[in-house]
Amino acid sequence: MNKTSNRFRTFYLSLFFVILYIPVLGVVLYSFNKSPSTASWTGFTLDWYRDLFNDKVIIESFKISIKVALLTSILSAILGTTTAIISTYVTSKMENVIRGVMILPLLVPEVALGVSLLLFFSTLNLPFGILTLVLSHSLFCMPYVYLMVLLRLKEIDISIIESAKDLGATRWQVIKTILLPLVTPSIITSSLLALAMSLDDVVISTYMSGPTSTTLPVHIFSMMRVGVTPKINALSTLILVGTFFIVGLSQLLNKKSNQ
Amino acid sequence: MFNKEKFKQNAPAIPVLIWVGFLVGLPLVFVIILSFLTRDDLGNVVIKFTLSNYKKIFDPTYLKVFFNSFLLATLTGLITLIIGYPVAYFTANLSPKKRSLSIGLIMLPFWISSLLRTYGWIILLGNTGIINNILTKLNIIQSPFNMMYKFSTTLIGTAYMLIPFMIIAIYNSVDKLDKSLLEASYDLGASKRQTFLNITLPLTLPGIAGGFTLVFIPSLGLFFISDLLGGGMTLFLGNVINSQVTKGRNKPLAAAFSIGMIILVLIILYLYGKLTKDKKGEGLF
Repeated sequence: MNKTSNRFRTFYLSLFFVILYIPVLGVVLYSFNKSPSTASWTGFTLDWYRDLFNDKVIIESFKISIKVALLTSILSAILGTTTAIISTYVTSKMENVIRGVMILPLLVPEVALGVSLLLFFSTLNLPFGILTLVLSHSLFCMPYVYLMVLLRLKEIDISIIESAKDLGATRWQVIKTILLPLVTPSIITSSLLALAMSLDDVVISTYMSGPTSTTLPVHIFSMMRVGVTPKINALSTLILVGTFFIVGLSQLLNKKSNQ
Repeated sequence: MFNKEKFKQNAPAIPVLIWVGFLVGLPLVFVIILSFLTRDDLGNVVIKFTLSNYKKIFDPTYLKVFFNSFLLATLTGLITLIIGYPVAYFTANLSPKKRSLSIGLIMLPFWISSLLRTYGWIILLGNTGIINNILTKLNIIQSPFNMMYKFSTTLIGTAYMLIPFMIIAIYNSVDKLDKSLLEASYDLGASKRQTFLNITLPLTLPGIAGGFTLVFIPSLGLFFISDLLGGGMTLFLGNVINSQVTKGRNKPLAAAFSIGMIILVLIILYLYGKLTKDKKGEGLF
């Protein structure tokens, strides 16, 4: 590759990443602005953050979001991993059926999925709240766990499993002592991804929230519709820091288990 | 023929199929049924067969909504392709260390709240936003330049939200490209341009098709972007479904529109399948 095209490559990529991150940096920057308007920068303040901790509705919806996200990631980790392991034992035809069924929730646009679940659950008379939120969130989180665990399972050397079987290991023993430990890093990464996706979901949560159980993103969305206030910036910044903490943690855990 | 041996092998899959079937299959069947029902004046669903919900789709107002959504999704696909292809292509040609940095930067937005990323554009494009501030300070413009609440604002927000999907899909196919083919092409005297058009582009077509599909589908339903950036000036399918369910209380109509949206998705998936039929192992996921 010659010099000019090399320079162009660097320029294009840098420009792209600058544009990709400017909107995010803008939000973070203005969370520290004294003026409530973005029209001018009047000085540094942490007042908006203080406001946040005094807002009971935000604290409440945050608690609900965390509860839902934790339950969702546990449920999807269990279901996704089980499905991935099961799919390696069935016939290849059935494996394709399982794959198709698991990917289905990702192929239906979120609005359509949310509306169909809303109509379905309300007919079943399920109370809208944490239960419906966890059920619906696990629906779009579980496929990721399944896919990531499956990817790892396919990399496992078949001969290890064969020799375990030759030595008289039962199917359950093979799963418990060989498969599960080998896929643990994938389970951890994908359930952290599930955690982040559940914490971030707006569309489906709009339909699944109950009268007393609004999730944080649904609440933020309703705040944003009213107008721009630095309080939203401060809240978004805190969420950003929280998510990066989760990402960092997952990277760290991954590195450790790889050693 | 019922095969006992095979059934025994496949038996553990049954609970999985039931679980997903119960949460996705049944609700969808439910929506299909509902889309043929009527509602009374209070918004309650009445069990009476009708086709009027589907007829409404062909009403000029709603046909426009379908057209807007289709246009938004297609343009989002094209824009993310044009901007994203070079990013994917250049990234694949970087040194290993720089490459993982670049991939990390492409993937990181997946972890950033989608509301925050949409809100960022309000901060940037608003009448008192960053861009207008800078332009006014530099005396390039006297009064704020209105960039919000337009079709193009929604388009920018949607493309921005979904571009990582496009880049990753293309990157995967560029990365798999057999480099010896490119060398052979150069050895035979082909120019860079010729090599790109005759070898790289056709061979990365599955990646492009995959990226397009991954961008097209969600762009139909991200109603919060058009709500926040478009201000409801242009109506999209997602907004109409959402308002019919939450405010309009016309659930059968919302159901019919959801089915319409799913049919749009199926068309795209069918086209994707056709385009990548003879390329094995290039699954969407």
